[in-house]
Amino acid sequence: MICGFCRKEIPAKTPEQGCGRCGGGCRKVHCPYCGYENPLPSPLFEKLLGQKGKKKQE
Amino acid sequence: MCESVQVMKCCPETPVEISWSERKLFLVGNPNVGKSVLFNALTGAYTTVSNYPGTSVEISRGECELHGVRYEVLDTPGMYSLLPITEEERVARDILLQERPDVVLHVIDARNIERMLPMTLQLIESGLPLILVINIMDEAERLGLKFDLPLLEEKLGIPVVGAAVRRKRGLKEIRAAIVGFDPQQRAAFSYAADLERDISRVASCLTGAYAIDPRALSLLLLQRDESLSEMVRKVEGDNYAAVEGAVNEIVFERRVDLHLRISLERKRICKGVLEGAFSQSEEQSPSWGDRLSALTMNPWTGFPLLLAVLYFGLYQFVGHFGAGTIVDFLEGHLFGAYINPWVIALSDKYLTWPWLYELMVGEYGIITLGVRYAVAIVLPIVGTFFIAFSMIEDSGYFPRLAMLVDRIFKRIGLNGRAVIPIVLGFGCDTMATIVTRTLETRRERVIATLLLALAIPCSAQLGVILGLLSAAPGALLVWSLCLLGIFLLIGFLSARLVPGERPMFYMEIPPLRMPQPRNVLVKTLTRMQWYFMEIFPLFIIASVLLVVGKLTGVLAWLVSLLEPVMHLLGLPSEVAAAFIFGFFRRDFGAAGLYDLQTNGLLNPVQLTVAAVTLTLFVPCVAQFLVMKKERGWRTSVGIFVIVTLLAFTVGFGLNRLLLLTGILA
Repeated sequence: MICGFCRKEIPAKTPEQGCGRCGGGCRKVHCPYCGYENPLPSPLFEKLLGQKGKKKQE
Repeated sequence: MCESVQVMKCCPETPVEISWSERKLFLVGNPNVGKSVLFNALTGAYTTVSNYPGTSVEISRGECELHGVRYEVLDTPGMYSLLPITEEERVARDILLQERPDVVLHVIDARNIERMLPMTLQLIESGLPLILVINIMDEAERLGLKFDLPLLEEKLGIPVVGAAVRRKRGLKEIRAAIVGFDPQQRAAFSYAADLERDISRVASCLTGAYAIDPRALSLLLLQRDESLSEMVRKVEGDNYAAVEGAVNEIVFERRVDLHLRISLERKRICKGVLEGAFSQSEEQSPSWGDRLSALTMNPWTGFPLLLAVLYFGLYQFVGHFGAGTIVDFLEGHLFGAYINPWVIALSDKYLTWPWLYELMVGEYGIITLGVRYAVAIVLPIVGTFFIAFSMIEDSGYFPRLAMLVDRIFKRIGLNGRAVIPIVLGFGCDTMATIVTRTLETRRERVIATLLLALAIPCSAQLGVILGLLSAAPGALLVWSLCLLGIFLLIGFLSARLVPGERPMFYMEIPPLRMPQPRNVLVKTLTRMQWYFMEIFPLFIIASVLLVVGKLTGVLAWLVSLLEPVMHLLGLPSEVAAAFIFGFFRRDFGAAGLYDLQTNGLLNPVQLTVAAVTLTLFVPCVAQFLVMKKERGWRTSVGIFVIVTLLAFTVGFGLNRLLLLTGILA
């Protein structure tokens, strides 16, 4: 996942930090480099738009 | 080949004896530069992926044989610097420093050589046996970038290979460079005299044996690398006090700009290294993206561009299209003409208990108020806001905005870094309040929390207010000027009243690009989905509470309490309900204002005063609770009181001013 602010790659296992107000856990991932709050992509929309399983570009 | 070396572990009591039968070849570099492709090309199919001991970070290991020598090849996790921030970076750094590689391939992206070369310098400084692989050369050449690799090699003092490993270009040269590698060869780079003096001061205190050059170690200690400090503490023993004393003294002396100085010095050295060794073809003039990027950060052109972004992105798209066209259709047409009459007719027939009728379709009923607000008013506004926000975000505009406003933000006790929580506040102030923890000093965190609670409307509130005020000429301008004025004035005063340090701000600016539709769509839909799931139950609960309040008389009592204040502001007493709604959620309050306006209860002056006061008015319950969690009771209650008093004072003053001058009359 690429941070929407600094465009650095957020490691896949970055712990989600949240305020605890959302039922079912936090859906935001904070970039460890700049602190920007990125929405955790919904699996449904990722699947619908064919992003899941897309080969990582290297 | 069998050899035995002494390796200094991260937290060793004594050096650990490790032996191995093959040489170690490590790949390092930023994420997405082609490390894994090169790893696969070197090792073939025989690779294993396992967690690095004691961590959840996966490491790929493989083997290759070059000129009869076997190499264990290790693909380290992506890292941006030797100073780790994430666990992946820490693991990559520890592997480099603990496992004593025979050869390190630093893979960089040729298109971004200026941004990636500073890490090459760090690796050279550390004394690691380094080969620089400049990958993705094919793309770089297509962009008109030219490299003088022999000159670069001479300046860096290490082997430099140009490659496009995806196209198998340069693999032969990389293998040859590994085979013929001479670890003794490397250049030395000097920082500015004052920094060099500080580095030498720390380095001279170090007496232990380390796997990393003392100069590089000193720089990392000065940048407060905690895991290395711990390692040095164990190695130095009694001597650590001297090291710590030197580090603390220098860090204190340079507390304002140490990181910035080191970063700028590395940039300066890189610039010198690249001079003559890297150029852009003359036929290739700067791209439109580069030109636009420069314009967005120049104050003379950046602010007009910011206004254009706000005008088209927020005013036209969210205010007119979202809060106007879509809400008119959903609220006025769909709910007003079809859903509500149908539900009310059904309720007239079947809901015989008055309290149930009131709960479902009454003035504050679940369907007539809760569902209608959530689905017909807030969701379309938030949806259009998220589309605009995701497009701006994906283009890379926000970091440029941070650079643009840095100077102004410094006047209000913040710096460009605070753009992150402030921008996020336009989405949701509650989460933005949490994000203030990323600001460096307590002073900045308190000021940013206050400004978020006071003058930053959340997405739905902003959208509804834009939609409402767009209809009254001049009202939106008055509202915008009031909010901006209060934001700057309170920030300016806070900067003078709240004591604390003023840290520097610097950041690497990613390239500007056209927003990618897929990214925009996924982010928008995800944000909308989570937002709706979050607000829908809350709106229903708020409806139930309001109905209970109405039936028990509590609501009328609360409204009567606020009535004198409403009259002072020149507002009809019905507006008190919107303020009470606003404390449940900001968007709920704004939607209440929308109802009053559509029912013709407010003239343009009253509408503007109500919008300004409601925007400045107390943060919603969730934001207040997060403020308390982040800043503590004392600060959060203080902010609550300041915000409430300011909101009503400004509302009162604005009403008088508008009546006196006849503006908006």
